[in-house]
Amino acid sequence: MTPLADLFERRVKGRALAFLFAAGAGLGLLTLVLPHDEMVKDLALVVLALTAVVIAAVLYWRADRVTDLELHMAVALGTVILTLANYFVGPTALYPMIYTWAALYAFYFFELRLAFAHVALIAVSYGLLLLLVEHPSPATRWLLAVGTPTIAGVLISRLLTRLRVENVEAGRRAEELRQNEARTRLVLDSAPDAFVTLDRDGLIVNWNAAAERMFGWSTAEAIGRPMRALVLPEDQRDLHDDRRRDLLESSGNVTGRLFEVDFQRRDGSRFPGEATVSKVEIGGEVVLPGFIRDITERLRRLEEREVLLREQAARAEAERVAEMVSGMQLLVDAALAHRSLDAIVGDLVTRVRGVLGAHAAVIYLVEDGRLITAASSGVDRETMPAPLELGSCFAGRVAEGREPQMVDRPSAEELADPDLEKVGCDSLLGVPLMAEGEVTGVLIVCGAEERQFGPEDLGVLRLAADRVALGIDHARVYEREHRIAETLQRTLLPDRLPHLPGLAVEARYLPAAAEAEVGGDWYDVIPIPGGRVGLVMGDVAGKGLAAASMVGRLRSALRAYALEGHEPARVVEQLNRLVWTELGDSQMATLLYLVLDPADGSVCWVNAGHLPPLLLADGGPAQFLQGGHNVPLGVMPFPSFDATAEQLEPGATVVLYTDGLVERPGDHIDNGLARLAGALRDAPGVPGGLCDHVLRMLVPEGAAADDVALLALRNTPMGNRFSAEFPTEPQALSSMRGLLRRWLRHAEGSDQEIAEITTACGEAATNAIEHAGSSGGTPFEILGRVDGREVDITVRDYGAWRRPREGDHGRGISLIEALMDEVEVTPTHEGTSVRMRRRLNGATPEVAA
Amino acid sequence: MSELAELAIERHGELVVATVTGELDVSVAPRMGDQIGEAVPTEARALVVDFSELEFIDSSGVAMLFGLVRRLGSRRQDLHVVAPAGRPVARVLELVDFGKAARLHSELDSALAEAG
Repeated sequence: MTPLADLFERRVKGRALAFLFAAGAGLGLLTLVLPHDEMVKDLALVVLALTAVVIAAVLYWRADRVTDLELHMAVALGTVILTLANYFVGPTALYPMIYTWAALYAFYFFELRLAFAHVALIAVSYGLLLLLVEHPSPATRWLLAVGTPTIAGVLISRLLTRLRVENVEAGRRAEELRQNEARTRLVLDSAPDAFVTLDRDGLIVNWNAAAERMFGWSTAEAIGRPMRALVLPEDQRDLHDDRRRDLLESSGNVTGRLFEVDFQRRDGSRFPGEATVSKVEIGGEVVLPGFIRDITERLRRLEEREVLLREQAARAEAERVAEMVSGMQLLVDAALAHRSLDAIVGDLVTRVRGVLGAHAAVIYLVEDGRLITAASSGVDRETMPAPLELGSCFAGRVAEGREPQMVDRPSAEELADPDLEKVGCDSLLGVPLMAEGEVTGVLIVCGAEERQFGPEDLGVLRLAADRVALGIDHARVYEREHRIAETLQRTLLPDRLPHLPGLAVEARYLPAAAEAEVGGDWYDVIPIPGGRVGLVMGDVAGKGLAAASMVGRLRSALRAYALEGHEPARVVEQLNRLVWTELGDSQMATLLYLVLDPADGSVCWVNAGHLPPLLLADGGPAQFLQGGHNVPLGVMPFPSFDATAEQLEPGATVVLYTDGLVERPGDHIDNGLARLAGALRDAPGVPGGLCDHVLRMLVPEGAAADDVALLALRNTPMGNRFSAEFPTEPQALSSMRGLLRRWLRHAEGSDQEIAEITTACGEAATNAIEHAGSSGGTPFEILGRVDGREVDITVRDYGAWRRPREGDHGRGISLIEALMDEVEVTPTHEGTSVRMRRRLNGATPEVAA
Repeated sequence: MSELAELAIERHGELVVATVTGELDVSVAPRMGDQIGEAVPTEARALVVDFSELEFIDSSGVAMLFGLVRRLGSRRQDLHVVAPAGRPVARVLELVDFGKAARLHSELDSALAEAG
């Protein structure tokens, strides 16, 4: 029987019996009220009636829980009470009929067998009563007493049974209930989960097939046993009690409360389970139905999945770290490159953006207490934004706070920065760039939809910021040095080559590719008193500031020694001593010093470890001047330097250069020298054109790996015409005379003629220098022409004309007039021109040898 | 090769001999005139300027000589100039009539003999 049907039956049985007791008591009391025989013992009957009332009350109260045994006992007690009632009513008035109620009840509610047992009890009780109080015809009375209720009971019970069977409605309902029960039972048995119902005391009232399989206890074994002892391990039992109590105490029904519990099988093994327990209250009876599921498999899968996820996460993390480390390395590489601040910052901002996968990145630098955007990546911008005040916008606050900051969904004020407002960022991460405790800038990255930043990114950004700060510091130092070195070098290279009459000289200097350091290449062109000219081509070992400053010292020293009039070998010896004694033994330099006398075309050079100069005859092949080789400067304290001489014919060119022109990484220097000689073969004769041509051929990229210096000097060929400019200073007179003599010899004048014309021109030139006064200024020029045997020379200056004074200067004009055939002085407002003519008679016998 | 003028001064008893070599022009002459003038003590009788090895002279060189003439004249000292005949220097001195201001010699020996 299902608990529900059982409940129904029991309640009906209990309440029916209570009614019978109450009714019996009522009837008994009623007979006492009505007129009756004196033999009746009233008090005893009242006591019996009250006892019946109490039993009725107890039965009614316990109707839901009353057991069959209690019912049987109550019926038997009823029989005893009825017997006593008969006795106390008196021997003359026995009422066998009153037993009918008990018999009727028994036949209706009890099995037939048990019903007859009650009838038997009635029979015995009444039999005893008759023996005690009646003498006449006791058998008759007994039969009457027994027969009446028996027949009435049998008849009535049969009638009632028939009625019950015929009650289709009632029968069907009962059947449906049973089927329902069976179906429910079937469903529950076929359920994969165990279904267990407990009563309020925790005793098992339902136990399905799955529960049997799950726990190893059969339904029969389980029903009626406490759940806690049957399937819960010791350590779980208190928890179970707590939960059960909690459920019972909660008001109303509870559906599907979920618990995770460790269960224990019959064999003692444990397994993790999940119980979904409800609380149902039916007619005051509380039951706790629940499903139990073994979640061992689910936990295992969950764990596997977790392990897998953890592995994946670990792998992703490892990859991310590896990527970050290589990203950081890239940052360090970029930071330590020898480059300008702009280039480094630009490079760094792109790489930081890459390392963090940021939507955009910006580097600001602090300048004059404000933030200047130094570089950005991922920011569209047409113009440079205005500087930010410290403390305003996000970047300004990071700089002011000196601490990394992060903002989710930045406010309009934080985005007021012109760099960021158009980017559209959802999160901002900013780190101050620190150098020696000072904030030198701010690094900011922006996250957008696909990439949001969290606190874990702050660490990465901080690392990146350290490297960016390092790079900025490095670049600043480098830039400062580079700027100084560059400036120094520019001041060390002649910004304008001196004008050399009769000679054409041109130089080119190509700094190495922008990112390299300033090299130690240098050249110089030094007019030496007496008309000679010194050409210098040098290369100091090392780079940067140190090299540039050494070039400076070498250049001043060489100029000083050269101007003192020392011979080339002596000049180089003195330079060597300077390098050896003063500049430290770690310093070394190569040098080529070449002195040309334009008057006779002789060249004399000393080569201290430098590449050989090239001699290019007019229209002839290029030829390396191999002589005059010596050790470089600074390798020995007292080496002897030897000079070698050669002739530079009119029209010939000498070319000096540094190794940057001919050296290429991975190539033999001989190939470079051959390339140079080859390039010179097709080069124009004019030095400027020659230099450009050589550079075009050998450094087509416009910049080599190393600095390139190139110097070409041509001994201008002499013709019928002479044209030269000279500075308005007395020192120019000597070279003017040398050049003029060379031209006049070319014009085949006699020694005397040459001397006299030179003297006359010298006087005119002295006047020109005098006219220029102390202001120096525009050079004076000498234009000469030989037409047949007629020499026509004009000396023109651009100074203020001064009337020749008496004495010395007047003597100059007289000399000119005496030495030349014709003299014409034309003072104009812009200068004075002196035109002189002289007829050449050719070689005349020397008056004195 | 043209070398600027260089000066060498020797004392021969009461004579001072100044030998000038190279080329004498305005870049050197004014200073050299002072140098020579200061090298002649008041007790000297005469100065001999030897131009035997002088390659070139211009009006500033001539001016230097005239300056020496004036300076020595005030102390009654004589100036003798040696300039080999036919050479450019002698030609210039001829042209400026330097012979009227001082004694011109073709050779050093005759100058020393006359001055001594």
